[in-house]
Amino acid sequence: MVNFTIEEVHALMEKPTNVRNMSVIAHVDHGKSTLTDSLLSKAGIISAAKAGDARATDTRADEQERGITIKSTAISLYGNLADDEDLKDIVGQKTDGRDFLINLIDSPGHVDFSSEVTAALRVTDGALVVVDTIEGVCVQTETVLRQALGERIKPVVIINKVDRALLELQVSKEDLYQSFSRTIESVNVVISTYFDKTLGDVQVYPYKGTVAFGSGLHGWAFTIRQFAQRYAKKFGVDRNKMMERLWGDNYFNPHTKKWTNKGTHEGKQLERAFNQFILDPIFRIFAAVMNFKKDEIPTLLEKLNIKLSPDDKEKEGKQLLKVVMRTFLPAADALMEMMILHLPSPVTAQRYRAETLYEGPPDDEACIGIRDCDPKAPLMLYVSKMVPTSDKGRFYAFGRVFAGTVRSGLKVRIQGPNYTPGKKDDLFIKAIQRTVLMMGGKVDPIDDVPAGNILGLVGIDQFLLKSGTLTTSDTAHNLKVMKFSVSPVVQRSVEVKNAQDLPKLVEGLKRLSKSDPCVLTSINEAGEHIVAGAGELHLEICLKDLEEDHAGVPLRISDPVVAYRETVTAKSSMTALSKSPNKHNRLYMTAEPLDEEVSKEIEAGRISPRDDFKARARILADDFGWDVTDARKIWCFGPDTNGANLLVDQTKAVQYLNEIKDSVVSGFQWASREGPIAEEPMRSCRFNIMDVTLHADAIHRGGGQLIPTARRVLYAAALLAEPGLLEPVFLVEIQVPESAMGGVYGVLTRRRGHVFSEEQRPGTPLFTIKAYLPVMESFGFNADLRSHTSGQAFPQSVFDHWQILPGGSPIDGTSKVGQTVQEMRKRKGIKVEVPGYENYYDKL
Amino acid sequence: MTDPIQLTVAPVLSTPETHIFEDPTPITTAQNTPRLTDDELWDVYEISRTAREVRDGGYKRVALQFPDGMLKDAPRVFEALEEKLKRLPIPAEKVENGEDLETSFNDLSTTSTKTEQFRENRIEQGKQGTTERIRLYILADTSYGSCCVDEIAAEHVDADVVVHYGRSCLSPTARLPVIYVFTTHPLDISDVVQVFESTFPSKEEKVVLMADITYNTHIPTLQNHLLAAGYMNLVTPPIIHDPSSQIPNRALEASIELKEYSLFHVSDPPQALLLTLSSRVKEMFIYPSTSGTTSSKAIQANTAMTLRRRYALLTRLSTCPIFGILINTISVTNYLSTITSIRSLISSSGKKSYTFVVGKVNSAKIANFSEIGGWVVVGCWESSLIESSEFYRPIITPFELGLCLIGDEKRIWDGRWRGDFGSVEEMVGSSAPIAINGEAQEDVEKEEKDGDVGEDSEEESTPPEFDLRTGRYVSHSRPMRSSAPQHSDSSEQSTTASQVLTRRAKGDLVTVNGTVSPGAEFLRNQRTWQGLGSDFAETEASQGMEEGRSGVARGYRVGEGGERT
Repeated sequence: MVNFTIEEVHALMEKPTNVRNMSVIAHVDHGKSTLTDSLLSKAGIISAAKAGDARATDTRADEQERGITIKSTAISLYGNLADDEDLKDIVGQKTDGRDFLINLIDSPGHVDFSSEVTAALRVTDGALVVVDTIEGVCVQTETVLRQALGERIKPVVIINKVDRALLELQVSKEDLYQSFSRTIESVNVVISTYFDKTLGDVQVYPYKGTVAFGSGLHGWAFTIRQFAQRYAKKFGVDRNKMMERLWGDNYFNPHTKKWTNKGTHEGKQLERAFNQFILDPIFRIFAAVMNFKKDEIPTLLEKLNIKLSPDDKEKEGKQLLKVVMRTFLPAADALMEMMILHLPSPVTAQRYRAETLYEGPPDDEACIGIRDCDPKAPLMLYVSKMVPTSDKGRFYAFGRVFAGTVRSGLKVRIQGPNYTPGKKDDLFIKAIQRTVLMMGGKVDPIDDVPAGNILGLVGIDQFLLKSGTLTTSDTAHNLKVMKFSVSPVVQRSVEVKNAQDLPKLVEGLKRLSKSDPCVLTSINEAGEHIVAGAGELHLEICLKDLEEDHAGVPLRISDPVVAYRETVTAKSSMTALSKSPNKHNRLYMTAEPLDEEVSKEIEAGRISPRDDFKARARILADDFGWDVTDARKIWCFGPDTNGANLLVDQTKAVQYLNEIKDSVVSGFQWASREGPIAEEPMRSCRFNIMDVTLHADAIHRGGGQLIPTARRVLYAAALLAEPGLLEPVFLVEIQVPESAMGGVYGVLTRRRGHVFSEEQRPGTPLFTIKAYLPVMESFGFNADLRSHTSGQAFPQSVFDHWQILPGGSPIDGTSKVGQTVQEMRKRKGIKVEVPGYENYYDKL
Repeated sequence: MTDPIQLTVAPVLSTPETHIFEDPTPITTAQNTPRLTDDELWDVYEISRTAREVRDGGYKRVALQFPDGMLKDAPRVFEALEEKLKRLPIPAEKVENGEDLETSFNDLSTTSTKTEQFRENRIEQGKQGTTERIRLYILADTSYGSCCVDEIAAEHVDADVVVHYGRSCLSPTARLPVIYVFTTHPLDISDVVQVFESTFPSKEEKVVLMADITYNTHIPTLQNHLLAAGYMNLVTPPIIHDPSSQIPNRALEASIELKEYSLFHVSDPPQALLLTLSSRVKEMFIYPSTSGTTSSKAIQANTAMTLRRRYALLTRLSTCPIFGILINTISVTNYLSTITSIRSLISSSGKKSYTFVVGKVNSAKIANFSEIGGWVVVGCWESSLIESSEFYRPIITPFELGLCLIGDEKRIWDGRWRGDFGSVEEMVGSSAPIAINGEAQEDVEKEEKDGDVGEDSEEESTPPEFDLRTGRYVSHSRPMRSSAPQHSDSSEQSTTASQVLTRRAKGDLVTVNGTVSPGAEFLRNQRTWQGLGSDFAETEASQGMEEGRSGVARGYRVGEGGERT
């Protein structure tokens, strides 16, 4: 039975110093959900016997079936410290009592679902990074860690699956120590790479208690602090001193009864303190239980002060081992203690996170409210994802209160991602129906939730697509929109088998795009319903959800295709000129490629149309070598006013230019959304307006004359600038034993892959191969790789960049690229040949 | 990064005279058909039949409407017709006459900016003094499509009847009687038969045989040939004036189950016909009649792609807040009532509509109204379908508008398509105000019971709509909707407190029944250009004024109390 009540939780919520919001993040299959189980069993949500197998936070059927987490799941737990003494170890932040509320989010590890991780990280302040003892730090470990640090989230580490090292690999104590320290080292390398001055040094050290070791499956874990506590009394030293001695090159010389940092005594190798005092009892238990030395066990148990129930005593082998270890070193205690002691409370965290969370000025009331985690300030709440309810089609808005207090019936302003203060776009006013506490698959109603807590909201789901800001202040800006590390580059089109089902499909698509932070649904020009996801697996799950759950009608699903972008590769060979339909106005433009770095900055939101134009010009001039005058005269970004194409005014002294700006910008948005080659969006193009001649009479230079002309001249300029197609490229990381490397290379070469790094993981026969692989070639890559390496290679693909599709010019119908283009055009039902620039270029 | 590309020639700042009179609209290429001989002319333009009908109808003023491509034949047709009319026996109490025939042309084309040309023919008759004249006028450059009868132009000359030459959409006209001359094109019957046989190897095949209007005269001959060849289940529906019938403009017996029939169409049908028919018949084959190529193969029509593109267009418009109604006809029957029903359809779904008459539609005219999100064309059933990527905003037909406004919850797209606007009125009849979300309404009620309203005077927003095209939420897709409840409130108040000064609505925008005009709002929010003078704000401040030297030449003073220099 759950060992805490909603009232208790509510009481704790009001003490933000005693709240810990944390997410569990790791590489796929490193044991996040399994480890989370042990915390749940401690809280009484699941039974101890089930812990480790239940994966209670995997609430969906297919998650259980496939054994992977797909959606992140939140759960609130009650935790407490055993002793007032422990409170003294909480450094740098205040606490109020020994009881704590832990809001925990279990996140998926597969790279295709890392948008879920992003959504989880946004609402938490700390992260429990799970690392597999044997596999060590993997691609996704690094990615999620980087994301966490980017959000200013403090990590603690648990090295998981220690049981495997003992049982399967039978390593020696010293080898295990070395393996631990290597893993910690590599985690720290990642952390220090993304060092953030404001967050400070967040590297993890076992002797500080920020690293735990354990086994989620068996339900045990320990930190050095716990052992130090045991031994501190025995040795009569201070616990903190003891902790330092229990890690690194510290030895206890049994002959002199003294601590030393020299590894030898009279030529004999001493045993490392960590091995002697911590690993030794564990190894002994393992040896005794697994070798069925029945007589040894009771003495051992007594010595370690482990008391078993009569039932448990009857058990044998692994079952007994589980029980013994769980009683000896309960995982929940170690984790709980580590989280409470070392992760920041919202009060602490929001002080340094406020400026990265808030879009507006750092001194307005909203930002100050966030900074102080003030429950009396105006409400600032960020909804990071939508969680489906049992009521089909409705969702809980899942988010965190950063300032103020939210309660049922409160009327709030709902600000979507495109909201700008002072305008009405993307702004809604609505009363919150109910506030709930998210408990895994279930919810518990709660009256109100003050700043610093995570919650679910009922009744506002119709106003939010994926994420948004809720506030009561009408001057508040948005909380920063999340940037995902993955992009939806793999697409499939869906259609209903039976025309009567179309409304259901449409409704299903709406629900689908709500339920996943990353998936995109759209209709293309050819009238196909497109679902775009981060990878094949992601898309597969989404489409399965769509067919079985959201739409519930039979669907016809196309093969996966990739989304291309149109670009230019050179400067226009001559200035393009187009005349307006009435021949009274002329636009002169050139196109040139935009630096890849600039495009990436734009896509990452670091250069955006919302910036102050002078500040933006400074960045462009200083970092990317732009001419300052040009950089100040960027008219707009496109498509959709924020894409990675720029329109730059380079004219000199043109009369009425401002008057036609709107029309030219409209034409630019239009042209950059549907490029000249295959009506695909453009990317990474810079268009310069060289000159403009306008009719003196305003009626002859209206939108009607200029919008179509702007589009024509942009097309002409692009077609004159050696156009190209961009294809998305995955970064693939493959872990593979040396013996199977040949197969990996073979598969990669056949699929236009290109290996750029190959590293051996120290201490293992495993190699990590990093390669670029065009997304188009990645369909079926995993299966292909598996069959060519007899299942020994494990790839992780994540979208990395765009590259020019090789194989000729898209204008030339005989080249390979040209044929791709023609096929796209045919599919879209437009004229197969790409129109030449002459169609858009007018002679003077 | 200043520009290295130099203009080779300095830009010309004015339009050269040679271009002044150029027509900006794309020129529809005149068919390069050889000049017809007189006999052919009589044949093609059916002079005798026309003359007879004119005479029988007792019409006095006849307007001859030519499409642009046939305009070059117009004078000869005019003359031939005149000659024929002269020779025809005058029915009833007509006295013999006809010595001096004097024809004078009054060219009126330069008198107005409209390039309609009227040629007036006076047939002076009789020494008796009673003049019996039949006047002929040539109409050209129709206001809308050349397939439609331009009644307005005809009424300008006060015509009793219009003779329409060339292919026609056969839309029923509202005011004037019309004599249609379809100007038959030659057809190689044996080739068609051959193609037909290769297309339908089975003689039992159920086939509807039809031809483009301009080839329709060949149908009986063709039918006979095919019957002789042994085809048993041939249907050749005769022409009627009803674009809403099962096959537009063709009479079909009600007993025929069209879905079982294939369709064999001589010559390329207009796109609208293709879309309409493709979902109604089993299969559709087209015998291409393009001159020169004796391709002996029928093309199977595939409209799936076009229909899908139409679907994309109309879903794209389902979240569009402002529609433009484009009037592309003023002669088709019911067009006025259709416009009214389209308007009410649009406003009943909370959107705003503006009505435009622009004459012939082209991209420049349409792009002048950038506040309009999408256009609906009210035109004849053939010309409503405007397919081009050149237009800044999509243009849809009234039928598609109906589908578009029906909402995502109900819209079914099964390939049925129609070009005429008969469907709109049905839709208006059945349209109860479309509730966007019933639950939302309930929510509001519930909260009001809680008594929590009042803390915030702003009323709750209606939920946004999901834009299928972009996969995002669109917040103001029904700008006129919010006015409804407010409006009822204000009317109550106005009865009691009409004397009291009322505060002007927020901002300075035009309001319609308490809601801000969407067009005005667009101009305020989306336009950066605010009129002359507003562009100075952006230019950087010039250098501040500095005090210069002052004094006499012997020694100037710089600034206040400065040194003499």
